[in-house]
Amino acid sequence: MTKTYVNRAPQDTRGSWLTYVGLGLVLLFSAFPVYWMFVISTSTDEAVAQMPPSVIPGGEFWTNVHEVFTLNEVFFAASLINSVIVSGVITLSTLFFCSLAGFAFAKLRFRGRNALLVVVVLTLTVPSQLGIVALYIVMDKVGWNQTLLAVIAPSLVSAFGVFYMRQFIAHAVPDELVESARIDGALNMRVYWNIILPAIRPALAVLGLLTFVMAWNDFQWPLIQLNGTDFPTSMVALSDLASGNYVIYRRVLAGAFLATVPLIVLLLIGGRQIVRGIMEGAVKS
Amino acid sequence: MRRTLGVVAAGLAATLVIAGCSGRDLEGDSSSNTAGGEQITLKVAFWGDMGLDNLKAEYEKAHPNVKIVLNSGEFNAQHEDLQKKLVTGSGAPDISAVDEGFIVQFRNQADKFVNLLDKGAGEYESKYLDWKWKASMSADGKQIGLGTDVGGLAMCYRSDLFKAAGLPTDRDQVSKLWSNWDQFIEVGKQYTAKTGKKFVDSGTNMFNPVLAQQPVGFYDEQEQLQMNGGPKVAFDVSMKAIDAGISANLASFQPNWDQGFKKDQFAVLACPAWMLGHIQETAPDQKGKWDIAAIPGGGGNWGGSWWTVPSQGKNIDAAVDFVKWMVAPEQQIEVFETVGNLPSQPELYKDPKVLAFKKEFMSNAPTGQIFAATAANLKPQYLGKKNGPTRVAVENVITRVQQGGLKSDAAWAEAVKQADKVAKTAK
Amino acid sequence: MSLTELRPASHRQVPPPKNVKTRSWLYRFDNKTVPYVFISPFFILFGIFGVFPLIFNGIVAVRNWQLDDPAANGWVGLDNFQRLLTDEDFWNALGNTFGIFILSTVPQLLIALIIANLLNRRLRGNTFWRIGILLPYLTPVVASTLVFAIFFARDNGMANWFLSLVGFGHETPLDWRAQKWSAWLAIATMVNWKWIGYNALLYLSAMQAIPKDVYEAAAVDGAGPWRQLWRITVPMIQPVVVFTVILSTIGGLQLFNEPMMFDENPQSASGGSDHQFQTIAQLIYKVGWKDLDLGYAASMSWALFLIILIVAGINTLLTRRIGGER
Repeated sequence: MTKTYVNRAPQDTRGSWLTYVGLGLVLLFSAFPVYWMFVISTSTDEAVAQMPPSVIPGGEFWTNVHEVFTLNEVFFAASLINSVIVSGVITLSTLFFCSLAGFAFAKLRFRGRNALLVVVVLTLTVPSQLGIVALYIVMDKVGWNQTLLAVIAPSLVSAFGVFYMRQFIAHAVPDELVESARIDGALNMRVYWNIILPAIRPALAVLGLLTFVMAWNDFQWPLIQLNGTDFPTSMVALSDLASGNYVIYRRVLAGAFLATVPLIVLLLIGGRQIVRGIMEGAVKS
Repeated sequence: MRRTLGVVAAGLAATLVIAGCSGRDLEGDSSSNTAGGEQITLKVAFWGDMGLDNLKAEYEKAHPNVKIVLNSGEFNAQHEDLQKKLVTGSGAPDISAVDEGFIVQFRNQADKFVNLLDKGAGEYESKYLDWKWKASMSADGKQIGLGTDVGGLAMCYRSDLFKAAGLPTDRDQVSKLWSNWDQFIEVGKQYTAKTGKKFVDSGTNMFNPVLAQQPVGFYDEQEQLQMNGGPKVAFDVSMKAIDAGISANLASFQPNWDQGFKKDQFAVLACPAWMLGHIQETAPDQKGKWDIAAIPGGGGNWGGSWWTVPSQGKNIDAAVDFVKWMVAPEQQIEVFETVGNLPSQPELYKDPKVLAFKKEFMSNAPTGQIFAATAANLKPQYLGKKNGPTRVAVENVITRVQQGGLKSDAAWAEAVKQADKVAKTAK
Repeated sequence: MSLTELRPASHRQVPPPKNVKTRSWLYRFDNKTVPYVFISPFFILFGIFGVFPLIFNGIVAVRNWQLDDPAANGWVGLDNFQRLLTDEDFWNALGNTFGIFILSTVPQLLIALIIANLLNRRLRGNTFWRIGILLPYLTPVVASTLVFAIFFARDNGMANWFLSLVGFGHETPLDWRAQKWSAWLAIATMVNWKWIGYNALLYLSAMQAIPKDVYEAAAVDGAGPWRQLWRITVPMIQPVVVFTVILSTIGGLQLFNEPMMFDENPQSASGGSDHQFQTIAQLIYKVGWKDLDLGYAASMSWALFLIILIVAGINTLLTRRIGGER
C-alpha cells in the first residue's frame, strides 16, 4: 500500500526524526577529528597516551601553543604569516584576473572567444601532478626556487575561476546594462569597474573563500619549494613539526589546530557562501 | 637542434648556480647584507639534541653581532636535505652536522664544503682521534669537518623495572649478566616471562650496535657491499631477539617509540653516549630510573658526528669561527655534561672534569669513566658512501619483520636484496 | 549554473557608442583589443606556469635529468618509460593508489548520495547542517591526517581501543601501517572523511533541480523513499554523478597528502616500511626530490596522466551504463 507522503517530492517532505538522527551522526563524524585535535592540543603527554582515550579538553592549551611558537626550528609563527601572505595574494589576484577574463568571455565579442573558452574548460581536467617536475625546473630557471614567489606564482589565476566568473556574469548581469553603459560612452574598463564588479560581489565572495581555502591547504608544491627554508607555509611547518626526532603529539596537534583555526573562522563567517559556491559546481583544483 | 638544446641545458646548469645567490627574495634575510660586518645570522642544522641551547646563548653574548639559529630535524631527513641543497646550490645551512653514516658520502663532494685546512684547521689534527680526523677527509686531502663526538657503546637499563623483575640493579652486576648477545637475549626472556612486558625497544636498535661491533660493516674499503660479514651477524641477533618475543617492536626515534619510554614498554636501550641526550629529552621524568651497564659483545662505535661548513654560505668565516669554538675543550665538556655526547679528542678523556663527572639523570653513573673507556678501545669501521641509505633499507626490512609482514627466516634474503638494490641505484 | 552545462552567452552585438569622432580610435581599440587585454593575464600566467611546464615535462621525461649530476644530461628516448615497466616500486605504488582509490571513491559517493538524500527534505536548520558537513572539506589535510595518524596508532590508538571493546586485538594490537589492507583502509577513511560532505552538497544541488512533477508522476507507481532515491533521483542527477566520479578519479589517483602524513616518519616519503601505502604521487616526489632524478619523475607523471585519462574514461562509461538504465 502506498503511503501518502510519497507523492510529494523529497524536498517537500518534512524530515522525520530519523533524518535528524542520521544527520546528527554525520555531523559527529565530521566534527570529531577536529574536536579531538583540539582535545589533544590541550592535554599533557600522559593524557594523550591514556586508555581509554580522553575526549575532554585539558588545561594545557597555552603551554602547548607556547611550545609550538618557541620551537625556533619550525618557524611556526612566521609560517602562519607566510600562509596569510601566500593565500591572500593568490586570492586577490585570482579574483581580479578571473573576473576580468570572465567578463570578457561573457559579455564582449572578439575573434576566437569560444575556442579560447573551450581551452579554459579543457585545462580544468589536467591533473596538477603532470607539470610539477617541469614547473620546478622553470622556477629554477627564473631563480625563484625556495622563495614564496615560487609558491604564489603558479596559483595567481585558475581556469576554474575564469569559468566560474564567466558563468556567473553571463547569468547575473543583463546585456542591456552593459549596452546602455557603452552607449553612454563608457569604456570596457569602466563597465567592468562600475557595473560588473558590484553585480558579482556574491560570486567574488564564493570564489575568494574557496581560493583562500585551497591556497591555505596546499601542501605538495609548497613542500617541494619551502621544506628546510626559514620561511615555510603553515602546512610545511606542520609537517616539519610532525617529523623531528622528538615528535610530541600534543605539540604537533596544537600546531595543527592553530593552522586550522583560520579556516574554521572562515567557515563561521562565510559558510553560507562556501556552501552556495560548492552547490553551484565548485571543483577541487 | 641538438646543439640548441645543449646550450639550453648549459644555461640551466648555470642558473642552478646563479639561483644559489638569489634564494631568499621575499625573506629579506639579514644574512644577505652583512658586508658591513653588522648583523650575521648563522643557521646550524642537526638532529636530536646536541646540547647547543646554552652554547648558543653564550656565543651570542660574547659576539653581539652574531645570531645563531638552531635547526633540529629528523636524522635521515636532515642529511637528505643537506644533499639536496648542496646539489641545487642554495639554501644549505651555514653549519651542518653530518653523522658518521653519511660522512663518506659528503666527503666525496668536498668541493661543496669549505676546506677547513684553508681556515687554519691543521692544528686540530693532533687533537683528534686519528680515525675521526681521517674519516671526514676527502681522497685529495681536503678536510670538510671537525669532529664532535664518538659513539662508544654501552647499555642503558631501567633499574626500577629491573628491580621489579627480580633482576640485579647494580651496574657492575648487570654488566655481568651478559657478556655476549645470546646471554643478553636470555636475560630478556626472563624479564619478559616475569613481567609480561617487552625487554628491548626495537630490533633495529639491536642491529645497529651489533653491526658497530663488527670489524667490517656494510661496505669494505673498496666500496663493495659485504652483507655476509658483519651485517649478517647483526641481523641474526636482531631476528633472534624478535623471535624470542622480547622486542617492543617500536620504530626507533618515532613518536610511538617516544611514547614507549613513557609507558615503560621496554627496559633496556643500547646507548652510545649520544643516546643519553635522547633519553633525557624524551622521558625527562624518568630521572634516576636509568643506569648504564656494559654492552654485550665488547666495544664499537655507533654514530658520532662532524660539523661541516657548506661553501655556498655567505658567512663562511663566521661559521668556521663558531665551529672552532664549539669543538674547543670547554664547550666539548659542557656538551658532554648536558647531553652526554662524548668528545672525539682523546686529551679530554683524561680531563679530571670528565673523569669525575657523574650523570645525575642516569642514577649518577660515572659516564665520563664509562664512555672514555669505551672510546679508548674503539676499532673504527669503514662506512661506505652509500652506508646511510643502505642502513635505512635494512632497517626497513627489520621493521617489516616486527610488523609481522615478513617471516624472520625469509627476512635475511630480503635484506640482502634491498641492500643490493640500494648499492646499485642510490647515490 | 553548474559546470556540467556550458551555455553560450548571448551574441547580441553591443552597438558602438554614438559617433564621437575624435575618440573613435579609442573605442576601436576598446572594442577590438581590450577584450584580449582582459583575458591575457590569465592566458599569460597560465601559459607560463600551467601549459609550458606540461609540454616541458614531456621533454624532461625523455631526457636524463638529474639534479645531482648535471653533466649526465642528455636524450634517453623512451628509456625512462622502459624503466617504469620493470620498476617494482612503480607497480607497487600503482597498486596502492588503485586500492586506496577504490576503497575511498565507492563508499564516498554512496554515502554522499544518502546524506544528500537526507538533506533533501524540509529541515529545521538547513544551512547549519550544510555548513556542518563541510567542516572536513575546509580542514587542512595535513592537520586532519595527523589526527588520524594518532587515531590509527598501534599502541594507544583510538581505533584499536574500539576494536578491543568488541574483543579484537587484546593480545597483539593491530598495527594499521603494517599491512596493505589496513593501511589502505585507514587512508581511505581519511579521504572519505574529507570529501563526503562536499560531494553530498554537489548531489543535493542536483537533486533540488529535479522538477517536482517527476516525483508526483512516479508516486502513482507507489515508490517508497528508498526506491524513490534509486529509481528516480539517482538517474535524474546522473550527469552530476559522472562529474563527481571524474573529480574523484583525478583527485584520488593523485593522492599525496594523506599517505605522506600517515607515515610514522612523514619526511621519508616511503609510504611504510615496505611501501605498503606509497602512492604514485608520493613516489614521484621521492624520485624527483629525494633521489633527485627529475627525468624519471617526469616520465612517471606522464604515466600517471595516461592512467587517469583511461580510468576517468572507463568510469564515465560505467556510470553512464549503470545510471542510464532508466
